[in-house]
Amino acid sequence: MKRNRLDSVLLYATAILTCALLVFPIYWLVVTALSEPDQLRQLPPKFWPDQPRWGVFAQILAERPILQWLGNSALAAIGAVTLSMTVSVLAGYSLSRFKVRGGQSLGLFILTAKMLPATLLVIPLFGIFRQLELIGSLWSIILAHATLIIPFTTWMLKGYFDTIPRELEQAAMVDGCSPLGAMVRVILPVSAPGLAATALYGFVLSWSDYAYARTFLTNAQTNWTANLGITTMKGEYVSNWSDISAASILVALPILLIYLFLERYLVGGLTAGSDK
Amino acid sequence: MSRHTLRQGEAPTMPRAAFLDLARPSRRHWLGYLLLAPAVLLIGLIIVYPLFVSVDLSFQNVNIARLDQARRPFTTANYERLFASEDFWNACWVTFKLVVIVSTGCFLLGMATALLVNNRFKGQALARLLVALPWAVPEVIAVVIFAWLFDSSFGLMNWIFIKLGLVDTTINWFSSPSASFAVVCVVMIWKGYPFVSIMLLAGLQSIPEDFYNAARVDGASAWQRLLNITIPSLMPVLGVTLVLVMLWVFRDFSIIYVLTGGGPLKATQSLSIMTYEQAFGFFKMGYASAIGVITLIVCIIASRLMIARAPDTM
Repeated sequence: MKRNRLDSVLLYATAILTCALLVFPIYWLVVTALSEPDQLRQLPPKFWPDQPRWGVFAQILAERPILQWLGNSALAAIGAVTLSMTVSVLAGYSLSRFKVRGGQSLGLFILTAKMLPATLLVIPLFGIFRQLELIGSLWSIILAHATLIIPFTTWMLKGYFDTIPRELEQAAMVDGCSPLGAMVRVILPVSAPGLAATALYGFVLSWSDYAYARTFLTNAQTNWTANLGITTMKGEYVSNWSDISAASILVALPILLIYLFLERYLVGGLTAGSDK
Repeated sequence: MSRHTLRQGEAPTMPRAAFLDLARPSRRHWLGYLLLAPAVLLIGLIIVYPLFVSVDLSFQNVNIARLDQARRPFTTANYERLFASEDFWNACWVTFKLVVIVSTGCFLLGMATALLVNNRFKGQALARLLVALPWAVPEVIAVVIFAWLFDSSFGLMNWIFIKLGLVDTTINWFSSPSASFAVVCVVMIWKGYPFVSIMLLAGLQSIPEDFYNAARVDGASAWQRLLNITIPSLMPVLGVTLVLVMLWVFRDFSIIYVLTGGGPLKATQSLSIMTYEQAFGFFKMGYASAIGVITLIVCIIASRLMIARAPDTM
């Protein structure tokens, strides 16, 4: 269908205006980080700093334990994703391929577990982890994040395995593979893109958590995750928005990069299981 | 997801497969159970057991959850206190307002952006990426961004509002109950609409182009096409997305907690914030668990509704 010229102009104008407006808060974060702190206290505001201070990132990394926070977030996310993926790959495969008694109800339970409020689960987990003396340790975060991740990854992987033809396993078994061998040597390699996307989705979930880190790690400064560290900066330096913004960019960057490079896969994961 | 049911007539040549024919409708096998075992064990330990503990806590008068101590006597005092508490009803009202306003906002913006980037134009891929970008900003960082935008002295929003002549003096956003509630809504809508947009775009793309062509041939206007083709075809996705967004708003903790902490004057204290505040601010774990159990019941009902509306998710 051909559009006439006026429609085209209107479409482009709307598209540009909408994108600019919706992405503006992110742009403003960058401008704030690159502006001198006293420049931010001048009105009218500058929409691009006269002299962007690109050195702010190096400076903030030197002044604040941001690398440590990022490292803790990464460790927690890698731990939680490894644990969750191990159990969800097996469970997702089983739910996709076998008719297990209770499998249907388990699937339903997992789907419901996606909707559990963290503020409810955090109370008993606090009690349990205290008894196990895990409060303040990254292990508490790894286990708590697994409660967020497993329900998502199990469903995403079940959906992914459902799209792989069963003939693949049958052919492998004709060639002498055991059922387990068929899964490990044939199905898992074929599913690599799906596994990677699912794992990254789990990584995003873990990286974005604040509630569990706030509860379990507040008194263990060396184990602070990035989000927790940022909120302490916000409370402390009410006036220095430029440093907080620079630190925030460093914290948001890993997720933004994952999103930019893997948008298609992540979007597939988001819609899996809830859209036809 | 549809099950694969197409294999037929392969059995005679596959002696080994007869032992475990994955395509047979009745595939019950020890391996299926074995593969599920680790997940069941882990979910049991870190989700099911804690859920039981919190229901149990909600019926005890405990201040700090100490699992190694003897169980306190059974009591319904927490629930009685809860239903008599003004704060609880205030939190219910705040949560209700948030769910209605934020879900509506997310829907309108999500639908509009999905329809926009579903058009074919140069730069469409970039527009799609940008429109959903806030999804990739962690909630805490979104709060940092908006806390600065709405800063009372040098925030950009105050400057814009004054320039536009909407107000004549700077607004102190975080000390006025209604203004902070509005800011919470803005942040949540900005963070939540991309999910709606992504879901609806996936739905839009599954509508066959032929429907629109046929409608155009019959002389339907753009508005009629939207009302009679797009919206009805999106209904299943719309329903699921609506429930997911409402549940997200209902449960959200980080945005409100970091932005306002529930204040001022409890104007932004939702049920989640109240639960957390009671548990870790006042260490009334039993009382907090009772609020948590109520939110849990709401979540279970809502997710059951969603599953019933979308039988295809199974």
